Order: sequence, then structure tokens, then C-alpha cells
Amino acid sequence: MNTYKWLIRRELWENRAIWIVPAAIGVLLVLAALFGRVEVDAPGAGAPGHGAGALLLFAFGAIFLLVMSAYSAWYLLDSLYAERKDRSILFWKSMPVSDAMTVLSKLATALIVIPLVYFAAADLSTLIIAFIVSLRASSWFGVSLWSPGIWLQLQALWIYLIVTSAIWFLPVAAWLMLVSAWAKRALMLWSILPPLGLVWAERMFFGTNEIGHQLWERLVTGYPEAAFHDFPGALVVAAQTATAAPVDVWKLLAPVDFAASPATWIGAALGAALVAAAIKLRARGIEL
Amino acid sequence: MASLIEVRDLTKKYGSVVALDRVAFAVEPGRIVGLVGPNGAGKTSVMRALLGLAPYEGHVRVLGHEPLHGRATLMREASFIADVAVLPSWLRVDQAIEFVAGVHPHFRRERARALLGKSQIKLTHRIRELSKGMKTQVHLALTMAIDAKLLVLDEPTLGLDLLARRSFYDALVNDYMDDTRTILITTHQVEEVENLLTDVLFIDRGRIVLDSSMEAIARRFFAVAVNADQLQAARALHPFHERRALAKTVLYFENADAGALAAFGAVHTPSVADLFVAKLSGGGA
Repeated sequence: MNTYKWLIRRELWENRAIWIVPAAIGVLLVLAALFGRVEVDAPGAGAPGHGAGALLLFAFGAIFLLVMSAYSAWYLLDSLYAERKDRSILFWKSMPVSDAMTVLSKLATALIVIPLVYFAAADLSTLIIAFIVSLRASSWFGVSLWSPGIWLQLQALWIYLIVTSAIWFLPVAAWLMLVSAWAKRALMLWSILPPLGLVWAERMFFGTNEIGHQLWERLVTGYPEAAFHDFPGALVVAAQTATAAPVDVWKLLAPVDFAASPATWIGAALGAALVAAAIKLRARGIEL
Repeated sequence: MASLIEVRDLTKKYGSVVALDRVAFAVEPGRIVGLVGPNGAGKTSVMRALLGLAPYEGHVRVLGHEPLHGRATLMREASFIADVAVLPSWLRVDQAIEFVAGVHPHFRRERARALLGKSQIKLTHRIRELSKGMKTQVHLALTMAIDAKLLVLDEPTLGLDLLARRSFYDALVNDYMDDTRTILITTHQVEEVENLLTDVLFIDRGRIVLDSSMEAIARRFFAVAVNADQLQAARALHPFHERRALAKTVLYFENADAGALAAFGAVHTPSVADLFVAKLSGGGA
């Protein structure tokens, strides 16, 4: 366990962007809240909706998530390639650290550490922004930001999203690592073309589009849709209808459906196999 | 006691090219062995197999471990420097020390700091800010601070200037080597290491062509500088190599009668470098 701590620390040393980028986004958003124009139309007359505040907070979270997805993909694609390119693998391999530990530490960094860092940055900056906005904006909106329920829900949503995403995106992450461990050049092409080839082959020979559908679900949807009921649709509706009742995030979570979906576990199993292949490749030392 | 390194039938193929052809040798504890060969002879392939860096065919045991599958365990007791300047450029010197201290059970942090304290390298330096010689110094300090039974050095001074090369080997001999250690060095610059070796392995075109201790070399090989008028007579004793040196010709003999050779001039033990040239260029004449 101690070795994993050092391996993760090593990833943070090497990839300082892991915390610099979310910190920069946070600072930018805070600056925007400080100096930008805050103009919120009360959605209709009547009671102010907690939904509007929640939507704003969730939207901030979404900005972090979007940047994080792009960064994580790049991180994974580089993870086993960089050490081969600069030959530092000859140093890392002189340490009593197995290839499995190394690969798993990088995978854990992408699926758990990076999301936690973004979560912390999003939480902190959202808190500051909510404070600024509530001072500058109309009172009804400010109030809608300070519902303890919303904050608790926000935390729960992040944690839930991190856990389900780790499972849901495991095959994608593992595939990127495999390419990173294997390809000698053109990593981008190698990461994209074989899956596209599979989609094409499936259509060609079986006339079905299950692989394409799964890729679409994971890449274009951008979050584990199966793990939620009607999300983020419910939030938008809540904000627009200015319902007095706060959005109930708990009702959006669908852990049982997620756990019961075969796509979840077939994907996870495929991911595990790809991770095993990446470990094997690193152990056998593919030269650049 | 079993050998520290045990190699039998080690074969390595890259496609149809045979890089190593049934290589066999053993290394005993406490020795400093030079694995010497021209470029492309297979030195690096042997090293990779010993250190678990690449797959191979045959039987290899290092400290009792099968290297490819037991690399992580092996590296608790063995360490290596393969090639120069392989420390990652983004790493800071103090981070390097902390990391190795964190993952290596036999690393002595204070020793690494003390070794670096003698140099101009600061702990806050990043590797990319250091010269090639300094990078090697950092790597050597990290490696020497590990209490390892076996140290493998693969062309550790390639591309370094004379001063850096000399201080590398001085540090190795003065601050590291004792009778609990075993060192295996590959190099094609044999002059540089010849004085610290206890054993040599010559490798050529994927085969071991000489496997001997330095003492055995002194007993087994002789060189005599012969005048032109005695050349025919001396050749009758079957030298395996000859080399012209000014007016004389140096003849190299294996397992010859030193007494008989003395008739032609002063008999001496050839240097490893000369022996290397003699062995690898074959018959000569």
C-alpha cells in the first residue's frame, strides 16, 4: 500500500497539470463571478425555485467534468508512452515495483485521483462563487444557492459520479493505456482507428451496431447515463418550472439499475482484460 | 554456494536475426565481471535478459529468481544502471531520493544525500537542469545508496567525457565495492574498466568467446615482442594472433610454455584490451 502511495505521488509530480488545470478553471470562474455581469431573470412570477440555483451549481460542475474528461484521456494515452519515449522506464524498472503496480497506479490516478482533485477544486470554487453571487445577485437567487440540501446533494452527486464513472469508463481508460503501452507512434490514430474498425466490421458481418452503440453511450454521452434517472433533464425542468421544492438528487441516482445492467459489467470485464494486456506489454518491454 | 548469476542456453532472436546463441556463464559472489564485446555483439541482450527487461529463451537465474517474472522481487536485491541519462527530466533530485526511499526496502537516504553532498548538485535541481555527467552522478548516488547484492551496469559511461567517466569508476571502487557486492559491467571501452575487473567475459556475435578470471588470464595467455629474424621460429609455437609494433611483431599465445617463449624476448601478460582484439580478430598474420 505504501508503494502505491509513492507511485501516485510520482504521478502528481510528473503531471502537475492534474491540479494546475482545475485550479486555473476555479480561479477563472471566480473572476467571472466577481467581475462578470450577473443578470438572472426570475423565472416567472411567484416563488423562487431552488432548481435555478442547483442548475447553476451543477453547470459549474459540468465545466470541470468536461475539461477533466479531455485531460484524463490525454493523461492515459501518455501514461505508458512517455516513459518509453524518454527511456526513463529503465530507471523505473530498476525499482522493486512490479509492472502491475505501475499500471494500476496510473489507472487509479486517472479514474480516482484526478476526479477527486477536480471535485475538490469544483467544490471550493463553487462555494466561493455562490458566496459572491449571493452578494451581487437578486436576493431570491442568492437564497436559492444556499440550501444545505443542495450542497449535500452536490457532494453525493460527485462521489456517485466518480464511482460509477470509474466502472463505466474502465474499458475506455484501459484501451487508451494499452495503446500507450504498445504504439510506437501515432497514438491518437491507434486509439481511434481499431475501435472504429470493430464498429465497421460488426456492421459488415453481423449487421448490428452494438459496439458502436456502446462507444456512443460511453464517449458521446460523457457520463454513465444508466446510473441516473432522467439526468440532467430533471434539473432543467426543475429550474424552468421554478418549482418551490428543491430538486431531489437522490431520486436521480439509479445505482441498482446501473449494477443490474449487463453493459456495465461486460464493459468492466473487457476493461480488466485490457488492463491485464497493458501490464503484460509493459513487462515485456516494447521498445520505441 | 550457488552462483549469483546462472545462465544456460540463453538464446534471443529478433525475427530471423539471432542476437544470442546458447550463451552460458556463471557469476560468483564478490566478483567484478566485465562483459566485453563490440557493438552489436549481444551485450545489451544479455543484460536485458538478466534484469527481466525482455523475454528470452533458455535458463536464467539471478539471485535465484527468474528475472522476467520475478523482476520486482529481484530488484530488492539487485540494482542496475542501464544506459546514461535515463532519469526522467521532470524529476527533482530530492523527489528522486524520496521516491526510492519510499519504494525500496534497502535504500539508505542519508547515504544518497551524503554522496550528492560532495557534488555541486542541489537537491532542488530538476534532472533536466543538470549536465549529462551530473545526471549520471545522481543516478550513481541513488544506486550506490541501495544495499544490493548485485549491481549491473550497462554502458554506464557512454557519451560522458573523460573526467566524468573517471570519477564514475572512482566512486564505484572507493565508495561502493566491498566483498558483499558483485558487479557486472558491460562496456566496449575495456581499457577503462580493466583494472577493476576480477573476471572477463568476451562476447562476439552472440556467443561467449572467453570466460576467465584475471588470474587465469595471466596463467593462460602470453604476449612476446619478437624481432623479425626470429619470427619464423616463434610462429612455430602456434600463436593465435599477431600484431605488428614498429620493428617487432607481438605474438599472442594461449597455454604455451612460457619458458620456451622467453627465448624470443620478454614475456608479458597481454592487457584485456589487447586480448580482446586478439581473440576477436582471430588468426591474424
